[in-house]
Amino acid sequence: MVMTTILEIIFIILLAGIIGLFFLGLSRKIMARIHWRYGPPITQPLIDIIKLFNQTSMSHGFLFNFGIIFSLAGSVVVLLFLPFGRICPLSDSGGLLVILYLMLIAPLGLALSGGEAANPYTSIGISRKLLLAFGYELPLLLILLTVMTHYNTISIVEIVNKQFQAGWSFQHLSLLLPGIAYILILPAILGFRPFELIQAPQEISSGPMAEYSGKFLALTTIQHAFNIFISISLFTNLFLGGAANPGYFFLKILAVFVIFLFANAVFPRFRIEQAIKYLWRWPSILAFAGLIIVLITGKNF
Amino acid sequence: MVNPILLIVIPLGLAFVVPLFRFISKKIEKFIPFFALLANLIISLTLFPHVLEKPIHVSIGGFLPPLGINLVAGPLGILFAMLIALVGFLVSIYAFAYIKEKDQEKYHILYLLLLTGATGVVLTGDIFNLFVFFEILCISSYSLVAYFGDKPGIESAVKYLIQGAVGSSLVLIGIGLLYGQFGTLNMADIASNIHSVHSISVFIPLVLLITGFGVEAAIFPLNAWLPDAHSSAPSSISAILSGIAIEVGLYAIVRVVFTLFGASSILTFLLFLGVITLLIGELCAFNQENIKRMLAYSSIGQIGLIVFALSIGSLSGINGGLFQLVSHTLSKALLFLAAGYMIFRSGSMNISSFEGMGKKMPYTSFAFTIGAFSIVGLPPFIGFPGKFMILKAALFEQDILFTILVFLILLATIIEGAYFFRVVQTIYFKGEKSTPGQEREIAPLSVLIPVFIFVGLIVVIGIYPKLITEILESSASELLNRADYIKNILP
Amino acid sequence: MNLSIILAIAFGGALLTYFSGKISKKARDVLAVLISLVIAVILAFFYNTSSREIFYTGFLDFPLILRIDTFSWFFAFTIAVIGSFSIIFSLSYIRKKGNTDYYYTMMLLVIASMIGIILSGDLVSFYIFWEIMSWSTFLLISYNRGPAIAAGIKYIIMSVTGSVAMLVGIISLYSHYGTVIYTELSGLLYNASSGYTIFIFVLFFIALGIKNAIWPLHVWLPPAHSEAPSPFSAVLSGTLIKIGTYGIILLIYVIVKINVFLNLGEGIVSARYIIAVTGAITILIPTFIALLQDDAKRLLAWSTIAQAGYIILGIAYGTSESVASGMFHFFNHAIFKALLFMVVGAVEYRTNGVRDLNSLGGLIKKMPVTFVGGLIGICGLIGVPLTNGFVSKWLIYKTLIINNSPFLAFAALLGTWGTILYSYKLLHNMFLGQLPEKYEKLERAPFSMQLPIVILSLAIILFGILPGLPLKVINSIESGFGLEPLTINIWGITSDTGTINMLNLFVAVFLIGIMIWLIFKGSKKSAGIGQYDNYAAGTTVPKNKYHYSVDFYGPLHRMISPYLRDFIDDFYMSLARSIKNLGNGIRRIYTGDVGYYAIYIMLFLALLIFIQIKWKLW
Repeated sequence: MVMTTILEIIFIILLAGIIGLFFLGLSRKIMARIHWRYGPPITQPLIDIIKLFNQTSMSHGFLFNFGIIFSLAGSVVVLLFLPFGRICPLSDSGGLLVILYLMLIAPLGLALSGGEAANPYTSIGISRKLLLAFGYELPLLLILLTVMTHYNTISIVEIVNKQFQAGWSFQHLSLLLPGIAYILILPAILGFRPFELIQAPQEISSGPMAEYSGKFLALTTIQHAFNIFISISLFTNLFLGGAANPGYFFLKILAVFVIFLFANAVFPRFRIEQAIKYLWRWPSILAFAGLIIVLITGKNF
Repeated sequence: MVNPILLIVIPLGLAFVVPLFRFISKKIEKFIPFFALLANLIISLTLFPHVLEKPIHVSIGGFLPPLGINLVAGPLGILFAMLIALVGFLVSIYAFAYIKEKDQEKYHILYLLLLTGATGVVLTGDIFNLFVFFEILCISSYSLVAYFGDKPGIESAVKYLIQGAVGSSLVLIGIGLLYGQFGTLNMADIASNIHSVHSISVFIPLVLLITGFGVEAAIFPLNAWLPDAHSSAPSSISAILSGIAIEVGLYAIVRVVFTLFGASSILTFLLFLGVITLLIGELCAFNQENIKRMLAYSSIGQIGLIVFALSIGSLSGINGGLFQLVSHTLSKALLFLAAGYMIFRSGSMNISSFEGMGKKMPYTSFAFTIGAFSIVGLPPFIGFPGKFMILKAALFEQDILFTILVFLILLATIIEGAYFFRVVQTIYFKGEKSTPGQEREIAPLSVLIPVFIFVGLIVVIGIYPKLITEILESSASELLNRADYIKNILP
Repeated sequence: MNLSIILAIAFGGALLTYFSGKISKKARDVLAVLISLVIAVILAFFYNTSSREIFYTGFLDFPLILRIDTFSWFFAFTIAVIGSFSIIFSLSYIRKKGNTDYYYTMMLLVIASMIGIILSGDLVSFYIFWEIMSWSTFLLISYNRGPAIAAGIKYIIMSVTGSVAMLVGIISLYSHYGTVIYTELSGLLYNASSGYTIFIFVLFFIALGIKNAIWPLHVWLPPAHSEAPSPFSAVLSGTLIKIGTYGIILLIYVIVKINVFLNLGEGIVSARYIIAVTGAITILIPTFIALLQDDAKRLLAWSTIAQAGYIILGIAYGTSESVASGMFHFFNHAIFKALLFMVVGAVEYRTNGVRDLNSLGGLIKKMPVTFVGGLIGICGLIGVPLTNGFVSKWLIYKTLIINNSPFLAFAALLGTWGTILYSYKLLHNMFLGQLPEKYEKLERAPFSMQLPIVILSLAIILFGILPGLPLKVINSIESGFGLEPLTINIWGITSDTGTINMLNLFVAVFLIGIMIWLIFKGSKKSAGIGQYDNYAAGTTVPKNKYHYSVDFYGPLHRMISPYLRDFIDDFYMSLARSIKNLGNGIRRIYTGDVGYYAIYIMLFLALLIFIQIKWKLW
């Protein structure tokens, strides 16, 4: 029992890392193709990471190191709560609410680490990150609440199970609006354009990344890879019915990722105020309407 | 058993002896009030247990009532006599150091006369005699208000005099009408003849007496003299005026309404009058910059509260009213005394001149704070049980009218709290933290001793109200059992 | 051991401290710490006991009663412990300030009266201690002078307003039922009309809501908490406002009883929902206002209001999970808010009173222990998993969602995300970023400050991993209230609708953290560099200017600030002004012309006679 759990954990972490890095590579390739370039090989992020680990790095102190570790650990722990196919090692330790909270650790860790760097670019980036998160959390929370109220549970595993019985959330009429809202905010969660304002290389020198070098950069890249994986899997689990096995699950998240990548390629960038205003307008209204519909139609389970 | 008449004779006699002592030593005269009131205090304390068993009445000159003048020392009378003696005694100690200017001799004579008048009013059983003592009280307070002889003092004394005179003449007319109808001046005798105030011939003396005594009792709208008089009098006299004089006026009203006329039907009117007086007093005090005026307006408010409580008309209401009366006497006397010495040091009555007093005069400031907290009704000080009893009495009526009035009273309490806390803050927290060359100027012992006796009483009775509730209860039942009062005097 | 002995020690100790200060300063400090610790230790021995005694019979006809049971023990013990920590913290904090005897006396008096309130067994003693607490707090809030004076007056006026309302409630209960003792009153309102119950509720809630700073009765809190001396702010935020919480629980679950409370009104217009919605508003508005603050203590003060909203929401919602979360959050908030005020206090102490978030920065290098305290404190405040705040918040979200109140849950969740923003700002602007040159010689906080900071930080982690410890106490309180206890074990909660297991989580985070740390350690060692070795787009790093803290959330600030003026405060201030004007107007009755005065007298007389002749009223 314990053995299988441990094996599952290792399996998930490795797989999520590989998928995340693959997505990063893929995104560079696809972006390049859209831009009429050839682009780097898909393995480029992995090569970069190996290279970065071997480079000299500079540290600003204890918190600078600790924040990175904290952030990465946070991301990894979230993986254990997300059903990957039907594998979910820590399914009974608090459900969706814990996931919500654990997803906080990663940005908080980066923010702490970046804070100690004493570089205003970093601080500006963090400020934007937190603001953007605050922007999309408002609709996201409404969406999650709608889903939890609809299925009358806080356990993500159960939500997935119920979708096996009754079809994807998208097929439930009352969850349609929240689903659309989720699609509208997913680029913000992923940090894709038009919400690519945290790093904004041309403007604030990669923001939170400004002071990272060597292994720090490598770790943040890994963290980023996990993050993409987590954000998309959460969406897939909640609205696209999860999946019965890891392979099928992979295909689903790949599809979602590629679709958003196309959007990323064609959009310009918002300013932070515009982003918040956007996020608090249409997605929130849709999500809100969805919640009211769910409340009116009553519990379906 | 001592004769209660001594309570009047001693201060009256000594008052006239003051000029004689002058020939022996000039220093001695200020101790005369001290000894006179100490004697009074002791006498009233020894009388106290006897009175609780059975009221004492003394006929003067051997004529039995209703023919002769008589003194009635019931629980209520002795309660007031005790209070007068106590406050008078403590204030006379305060005066040792405080009264230094001008003719001290006059001050002490008038002071003794004032208290004689007050004691006489509360002990007499004869309505005309009551009027006479009342006049002694009033006239000596007019002159004491003008004691400093400065312009505001004289001006307010004259105003006080005019209004007091109007009031006194109304009282006199009222007494005349009563005498015309019933042919007697003995209160018990009159009372036994009055069964209802419904007929206009009885009603008119009643309102004449209420209005006349109401001037001294500072009921709205008869109280316009009070803020001027209290603020321009010497602080020791302000303490007496606020703590004794207006309470004695109130006593007269209560005696007239409850005992003489048994006019419980007019109580509802007095109830509203009390609340209005309270609200107006507190609102006027709210934005007041002059400390003594503020305290004076606050006295108006407190009197309103007491009137309200007494007019509830139930045993617990009167009980609460009397408790509040005692509490107000002690707290307000303390406040005037403490503020008086701070004014003496800072040279200004403006509240802002009290900045930094907490450091300069720590003991006096502390006492002032206790007094302020007590007036606002915070535990564990004497004001709290008073307010508690009044609210209890009002809410036990279980009447929506009372509930509304209670909320108005509490609104007034909040306003009261606001301005008192402001002063406390000024004393302790305003001004420079510590300026060099700022020295402690602790008040002399003769100021601190009475002030701290007041503080002690406020705290002790606040923690242990049973100390006085017994006498209050029998006083309250004396007021309510009109028939008993009559039977006692006219067997 | 008698309960009255605790009170005797507490009140007597407060006075004794004052006089001992006149003899020796050392003795006074030792005495103050000793008294507060002794109270806490004695209270600890009362764990799981229940007793009741009449401690005084001299007040009118009311026997004053003290009682202890698990419910009052939980609150009293928390208060005593937080109180003694802040006294320890005060040792160095207050030394610079003068009036030390006064400070300790008042502090001990506040703590003593709070414990008195908690231990009271009847409403009259409750009220007496309540008022003593009110005025002693008032005397301490203004201690710092300056703006603290206005804060103090605002506090005391609101406090008096509340307590007079409560007094009416208490006496009204007495006049209806003839008793003020909790055990005798308990459940008597079952037969009362709902109108009367609501009347009682409103009266008590004015008082309790003001103390607990429920919107819209919160306006005293921000100035009072930010202007008070920091250790006292810790007491104010950590414990004093929780007296309001205690009172609300007492009212709902001991006096009125849960079955009456839940049946008060229907659906959305029931007492339960109205209070819960008020709680939700209390979470949201102050959270947003906290985002706009630039004063560290004022930010924390607004945060306190918001967190109090969670507690109220939990208590009023009335399910056994929500009530547990309310009480658990009370406990947690006491710990982490006291900690945060101490952290800010330590910084304030070392920087000579700077608490402006725009002029600090980089202090992590100089005050590392304080920083760690602050970090753990904000983690608890946010509710990061493995800190105590997490479990209590998880419980409230869960019960709100499962019981179909997603909007309340939304308010609670959104409040948390707001919390992240302002607490990061607090930490960043004080401790992270560039260290200004003037603070380069700053020393660490003194030991007497670090000690409580470290202990409280450890407590946050401890109760985060082992939430079962306090939950066990809370469970036994709940069964006393007639609520179904939760099924708990030492590291979590199990139920059909959602299970939480902090041990799993702890092990997972710990192991993964270790793994990553090993990778980090194993790879090439990094070189440490200072704050002037930064990337600055090719120029040298400018000193004192290379720092982003002013207007940290500028874009959001500009968006929301027009909507977030404290309108309630404006309303109260205009109310105060109009009373002042009314007073000035009424004073014109006293014209100063004696002729008028004589006319008043005659008019009064004439009026009375007229009424009698016309209507024969009397």
